[in-house]
Amino acid sequence: MVLDDLTLQLGPVSPATPGPLYGQIVAAVKREVSAGRLEPGTLLPSYRLLAEGLMVSVITVKRAYEELEREGIIHRRQGLGTFVATHGGDRSRDAARAAAAAALAEAARAGVQAGLTDAELQTLLATELKTLRSTVA
Amino acid sequence: MTQNAVEFIEVAKRRGGFKLGPLSLVIPRGVIFGLVGPNGAGKTTALDLLAGLGRPDAGCIKVGGLDVTTHEVAVKLRMAYAGPETSYASWRRVGRAIDFVSGFYKDWDDARCDTLLTAFGLNRDKAIASLSFGEKNKLSLLMALSRDPDLLVLDEPTTGLDPTARRFLFADLLHRMRGENRTIIIATHQLSELERFADRVALLDRGNIRLCGDLASLVDRFVQIDIAWPETAAAPAQPGITILERSGGRARLLVDGDTAGADWRTRLRTEIIGESALTLEELYLALVGPSAMTRVPETLS
Repeated sequence: MVLDDLTLQLGPVSPATPGPLYGQIVAAVKREVSAGRLEPGTLLPSYRLLAEGLMVSVITVKRAYEELEREGIIHRRQGLGTFVATHGGDRSRDAARAAAAAALAEAARAGVQAGLTDAELQTLLATELKTLRSTVA
Repeated sequence: MTQNAVEFIEVAKRRGGFKLGPLSLVIPRGVIFGLVGPNGAGKTTALDLLAGLGRPDAGCIKVGGLDVTTHEVAVKLRMAYAGPETSYASWRRVGRAIDFVSGFYKDWDDARCDTLLTAFGLNRDKAIASLSFGEKNKLSLLMALSRDPDLLVLDEPTTGLDPTARRFLFADLLHRMRGENRTIIIATHQLSELERFADRVALLDRGNIRLCGDLASLVDRFVQIDIAWPETAAAPAQPGITILERSGGRARLLVDGDTAGADWRTRLRTEIIGESALTLEELYLALVGPSAMTRVPETLS
C-alpha cells in the first residue's frame, strides 16, 4: 500500500467537516472498507505514518484506530501491524445500516413532533427516495 | 533510559516581579507537546530554563534523564531551541550565521538546511539586519530544523509565518515524529493549530500548571451546558461546575467531568437546554479568558 494513495483515500481531515478529526478518519475507513476499496487483510500504515500523511496528531490517528478496532473493522497483530479485519466489510455495512436506522428514527421523531400524520411522513420519505434514486441513476 | 523526554521537578524562578512555579511537569518521549497560557504566564521563562538560558532558583530540570545544569553540553547537543529572542545579527549575513552554527552540531543536515532556505524564501547572501520580522523567525526556525535532535523546543514558532510556511513547518514536525523517540515542545497562542497537531498540552497560568493531559481526554473531560436558571433561584449545589455566563433567567455552565462525577446530570436536577463540547481555544477562554478573569468565582458548591 502506497502511503500517498491511502492518504488521498482517507483524507482530507478538516475542521470544516462536521465531527471530530478522529471521527472523520473512522468514517473514511468504514466507507472505504464497506465499499470494498480497502480489502480484508490490507495492511494499514502505522499511527505515525498516517498522522504525517493526513497532517494530524499521532494521538488523533491512535484514537481512530482504537475505535475501529473496538468495532471489529480493523485488527492489530502484535509486531506485524494493523490490518483490515476479515469481516470488516460486513461490520462496516452493519454499522452504516444502524446509523441509517438511527437517522430515520430521529427524522420520524421530528416529524411526529412537528404534527405530521403517518401518511404525510410516508409521502415525504417516498418523495425523498424518488429524488435520490433518480439522481443516482 | 528514562521514558521521559523532559522533567521539571519543583522548579522555581523569580524574574522581577514574576514568580514561576514551583513547577512540576513531565513530558513523555514521542509526543508533540503544546505549552499554552496567557502572556506573562511563564511559558518563555520555563522554556528558557529548559534551554539553559538562566538557572532555576530551586528544583531541577532533566532532559532525557540528565540534569540541564550539570550536563549542560550533553543536553545542548541533543536539543534544539528556536525562540523569538534568538538573534543572529552579529554574523551579518544569513550564510555566515548558518556556517557558524552548523559547525557545532553533528546532527546538522546541509541538504535539509537548503530545503528550508528554499521553503522559507531565505537567501544565504541576505543581510540579517534587512530581514523582516517573519524572516528573522524563519531564520531562527531554520537553525533548529536543520538539525535532527531528540528534543526540539519551539517558542511561538508560527509568529509572522504565512499559511504556506506554517503548513511546511507542521509537515516537517510530523515527519520528525516518525521517530518514536523524538519529542517536540511548542509554546504558542495558535490553539486551533495546536489542537490539530499536538498530542498533549499543558495550560500555564500565572506561573503554575492549571491543566495538563493528552488532548483527547482533556477535550472529553469538559462540556458546556445551558440551563434555565430563574434569577431568584439559589445555586444548585454541585462541585466541578463553574458559571461561565448568567443572564435573563439562563445560565451557561462549564462542567469538569473529573470533579463533577459521573452522575452530575442527575444531581443537577435541572433541564439541560443545550450541551456542547469545547475546542481547545474555548476551553482556554473558559478557564483563563477575559470573562474568567472578571467572573466572580461563583463555583456551584
